[in-house]
Amino acid sequence: MKNILKIVLVLIVFLFSFGGNKVVAQDVEKSAVAANVEVVASEVSDDIASEEVEEPIELGKSISKFAKDSGIYSLFADKYGWKYLVMICIACLLFYLAIVKKFEPLLLLPIAFGMLLTNIPGAGLYTPELFADGHVHWQEFANGAGLLDYLYLGVKLGIYPCLIFIGVGSMTDFGPLLANPKSLLLGAAAQIGIFATFLGARATGLFSPAEAASIGIIGGADGPTAIFLTSKLAPQLLGPIAVAAYSYMALVPVIQPPIMRALTTKKERAIQMKQIRTVSKKEKIIFPIMVTIIVALLLPDATPLLGCLMLGNLMRECGVVDRLTKTAQNELMNICTIFLGITVGATATADAFLNVRTLMILGIGILAFSLGSASGVLLAKFMNLFLKNPINPLIGSAGVSAVPMAARVSQTVGQEENPSNFLLMHAMGPNVAGVIGSAVAAGIMLNMLG
Amino acid sequence: MVLASINWGNALIITFMGIGIVFIVLVFLIFIISLFGKVMAPKVSVKKASQKEKSGADQNVIEETTIEHIPALDSAAIATALHLYFDDVHDEESHIITIKSVERRYSPWNSKIYGLNNNLIRR
Repeated sequence: MKNILKIVLVLIVFLFSFGGNKVVAQDVEKSAVAANVEVVASEVSDDIASEEVEEPIELGKSISKFAKDSGIYSLFADKYGWKYLVMICIACLLFYLAIVKKFEPLLLLPIAFGMLLTNIPGAGLYTPELFADGHVHWQEFANGAGLLDYLYLGVKLGIYPCLIFIGVGSMTDFGPLLANPKSLLLGAAAQIGIFATFLGARATGLFSPAEAASIGIIGGADGPTAIFLTSKLAPQLLGPIAVAAYSYMALVPVIQPPIMRALTTKKERAIQMKQIRTVSKKEKIIFPIMVTIIVALLLPDATPLLGCLMLGNLMRECGVVDRLTKTAQNELMNICTIFLGITVGATATADAFLNVRTLMILGIGILAFSLGSASGVLLAKFMNLFLKNPINPLIGSAGVSAVPMAARVSQTVGQEENPSNFLLMHAMGPNVAGVIGSAVAAGIMLNMLG
Repeated sequence: MVLASINWGNALIITFMGIGIVFIVLVFLIFIISLFGKVMAPKVSVKKASQKEKSGADQNVIEETTIEHIPALDSAAIATALHLYFDDVHDEESHIITIKSVERRYSPWNSKIYGLNNNLIRR
């Protein structure tokens, strides 16, 4: 009972306090109003003079304006509206491949979404004019840029691919490569595809040398490297090249096996390889430092990519920066992947994507990829002519740097012939060598054509 | 016509120089890694029993054999056998029963006294 009384009392005091405040506030207001009456009166007379007469809104006009401003109007009434529709359909196809077929979903999904966003008429999320002629027009940014324009700076300035390479390095074990250094040759052979495709793209006459080099790098099957090189040499082709590179990387299990079977005999596919030696921790720690020094001195243009790759790997192997390694493997990698995917997708605007050149890029890209795989297998066969302990030619196709998918394909095809054959670790050598090889090839292209 | 307009000299130079440099860089790396491997590879040396030791040893004792390399399949078989053997052995209980404390440490952030949603409690 006492408690109820207390509460009632508190409530009464509370209400009165508000009432009291109100009275005080009213008094203050009255005095303030009285003091300002003269000033306000003079201001009002000025305002009335300067105030424009508000136009009456016509319902019909405003509805028609709203409809004309909508994306749906642009899609169906614009002369080139069909292009946007086609691009939206392509984005949906990529969604299907990423979500249902699980083709490289980590990158294909953001790419598809970026493509969807950029092709919605009127949304203005990405403005290609800001990056016209291969330059960033900084002064235009002040006039208004979309979200994707700001994010795209990371691609344009070559930031995301390098950061992703730190993550890739921190997840890569170079042990199989160190145990069998000959794998590096297979990694180098797979890069022949890049240069052969460069020639092929030039032969079409549709592409400049810089564009042809960007198309050729698809053969390296290394997404970040392809994006890095293309953003420097031919930014106008970034969308089609990124889509081609990641699509073909996802299609490694479909593209490679027929090539591998066509170029090898049953006997060759059944070759069992000698167990690889154990690699000491010291070797693993010194390797990234040594590669960085050697490659950076020989080919400074390859340093951004290789340096970041080796930094990630050193963090992983040295074992004293676990927190940094985990960040590089997870948060850093994932954040960059989202930004990279969405902005690369955004470059695939209807005008840039829907043309004969894109179809050519997709066609030549698959050729580049197939040539890279074939070169690795053929070099492995050639090496077998001289080696005491023969190597299984199937591991040659892993020289393209689709890690670890290409190595898994070697393992699967090898086991079809000989179920007791375990090629995975042997194939990981050329596979990681391919990452180094494609970064070196990109550096060479950049040096010669950049 | 298109083929003629292309500067094939430049294209071929870029192609062959590119392939050449990739191979040179990677072959150089092979050389360095191989050299490096020879110096730093972990070495396992098994001492062979000398003739003197052999003659002095009891004839009933099984002679130690030197195994330099065990094939992968043999290693896998040995590892599997050991795993199966030790997996069957029942481990001994420690006989220590621990009750995990679930007491929450006091913090004003989780204090119910200062909560806004307290119901009125009749006392």
